Amino acid sequence: MRLPDRVTGLFLVGLGAAAAYGGWQLPPVPGQPVGPNVFPLVIGTGLALCGLAIALGIGRSFEEEEHLIPVEGGQPPPPTSKLYGLRALLPPALLLLYVAVAERLGFILTAAMIVYVTSTALGARWKVALPLALLAPIGIHLIFSKLLRVPLPPGVLPMPW
Amino acid sequence: MLNTLAQAFALITTWEVIVAMLAASVYGLVIGSLPGLSATMATALLVPVTFYLSPIAAVATIVAASTMAIFAGDIPGALLRIPGTPASAAYADEAYAMTRKGEAELALGAGVWFSAVGGIAGTLSLMILAPPLAEIALSFSTFEYFWLAFLGLMCATLVARSSPVKAIASMFIGLLVACIGIENPGGVPRFTFGMTNLFGGIEPIPALVGVFAVAQVMRAMLTPEPPPIPRRKFGSILAGQWKLTKKYNWQMTRGNIIGIIIGVLPGAGADMAAWVSYAMSKRFSKEPEKFGTGHVEGLVEAGASNNASIASGWVPSLLFGIPGDTIAAIAIGVLYMKGLNPGPTLFTEKASSMYAIYLMFIIANIIMIPLGIVMIRLASYVLRAPRSTVMPVIMLCCAVGSFAIGNNIFGVVIVATFGVIGYVMEENGYPVAAMVLGIVMGTMIEQSFVTSLIKSDGSVFPFFERPIAAILAALAIGALIWPVLVWVWRRLKRAHAPATSAG
Repeated sequence: MRLPDRVTGLFLVGLGAAAAYGGWQLPPVPGQPVGPNVFPLVIGTGLALCGLAIALGIGRSFEEEEHLIPVEGGQPPPPTSKLYGLRALLPPALLLLYVAVAERLGFILTAAMIVYVTSTALGARWKVALPLALLAPIGIHLIFSKLLRVPLPPGVLPMPW
Repeated sequence: MLNTLAQAFALITTWEVIVAMLAASVYGLVIGSLPGLSATMATALLVPVTFYLSPIAAVATIVAASTMAIFAGDIPGALLRIPGTPASAAYADEAYAMTRKGEAELALGAGVWFSAVGGIAGTLSLMILAPPLAEIALSFSTFEYFWLAFLGLMCATLVARSSPVKAIASMFIGLLVACIGIENPGGVPRFTFGMTNLFGGIEPIPALVGVFAVAQVMRAMLTPEPPPIPRRKFGSILAGQWKLTKKYNWQMTRGNIIGIIIGVLPGAGADMAAWVSYAMSKRFSKEPEKFGTGHVEGLVEAGASNNASIASGWVPSLLFGIPGDTIAAIAIGVLYMKGLNPGPTLFTEKASSMYAIYLMFIIANIIMIPLGIVMIRLASYVLRAPRSTVMPVIMLCCAVGSFAIGNNIFGVVIVATFGVIGYVMEENGYPVAAMVLGIVMGTMIEQSFVTSLIKSDGSVFPFFERPIAAILAALAIGALIWPVLVWVWRRLKRAHAPATSAG
């Protein structure tokens, strides 16, 4: 997901301009010179200017190369196909899935699904992933629902406690 | 004063506080020592739990977990050359070189011993600095608060290890996020796009969990698994530490002072302190050629420095609600949640709570020595837990924790969104710490800015009329143009260099 500075810079110009415009559109407080519109206007303008500077490559000389510490033990470098990069989107996708189905399926089933998929994606075999998917949701449910009294959705598989 | 101290003792000697502190210590040690899980992440995931504790116990967990996690990051650094937290990255190479020379005990012992010393020094700075500053802060008006917040944001962008323009842009993104909601001078829905869930604004804690925890799981998806730690037997961990303390007394003190200063600066935290101190140690060392070959001197200084910054980071947080680093940003969220709203009056009205915080820091740093030694001895077992079993549990904690903060499923959406934002920003060199600071300080800076503008009737002069405001303004504007000066100076030097070599 490493994008050229030109792309991120121009995106920020757009975002800043939109924020400034949106702020400017807000109704002022009657009888007062400044209201909720001033701050977004200032922030948006600033962001747009920064975005412009980034797109033009200003300040790049300050960037330090990251001190990446190579992993010893000679693991093969990950394959760099385009689809491989999309794996990074798996965690947020799973969280959104949780939002969508937790109410209906219940915490235990949804959580087991999240654990199994994450674990497998990180290279665990089913012998590890399956018991983990069984035990981790129950453990978390015990801590949060029983000890901390967070109302987790019971769904189709309510816990006996 | 003695009376307050006695009250503070009474506050922290309840079973709840003691159990919370011990549990949080173990938790901090484990999370900190697992590569890829940072101290900030450990603290952020603790917040939902603190929600259900008494105020002092809640603060105790944050103090204990963050202190332990910063030290524990040294363990995989020394044994695997993989820093457990970013704060240990500066000297992971050095510590690993020592392990290869057969001095693993000395490297890890220096980690635990000088971390404890640094943590206590940081706590002393908190005790000494905060009350007199609170006296001064009592007379602050919105102008001073505005400049202070502005200065804080500028510092955060100055110390970021990336382009200052990108850091400022990140800060603006954070401020923009803080604009969302109806909590603004007009009380109108702003940038809510008609979504009722956005009316209350973006809660900082789910945003932080997203940026520091979900983004980390996302990164793990694309990076290879770190190798397991080879099993080994350790000799005495603390042997020789007293000799080191005497030999490198000055380096240790310098590390403490640098750590304290960097901790107080908003936005710059333990990792920055460690980098600066390690570099200083090398620069001023009598034997700089030994650095990088397994020399303990840099470890002493940087290890003392990163833990000192943790406690001193609480100074601006408690006084002004301006976080000294990302961990303090979370702590501020917890303080607000618990009715200990940051501000100078905290030191007069809730003095016993403040003393309780000092005491907890000191206790946490003392129990870190025995607990740390146990952790070092168990490290080869704990660190065998593969990532594929740790990360799924982190994911569950993210989902449940962000829901628990407001019993609102929308929190999980925020966590997911900020996971993506944090991941993309980090990948492209935008420092997320600056954005986090913007989110936490946004409402405060807007309030002081707009109130000041109303008071001054739209004129800019009152912003500079009061003496302290003028000083703060000068510092803030100085911080803003500093990168420009550095850039011009570098340009001039470069233009000058070929001329001299030719002549």
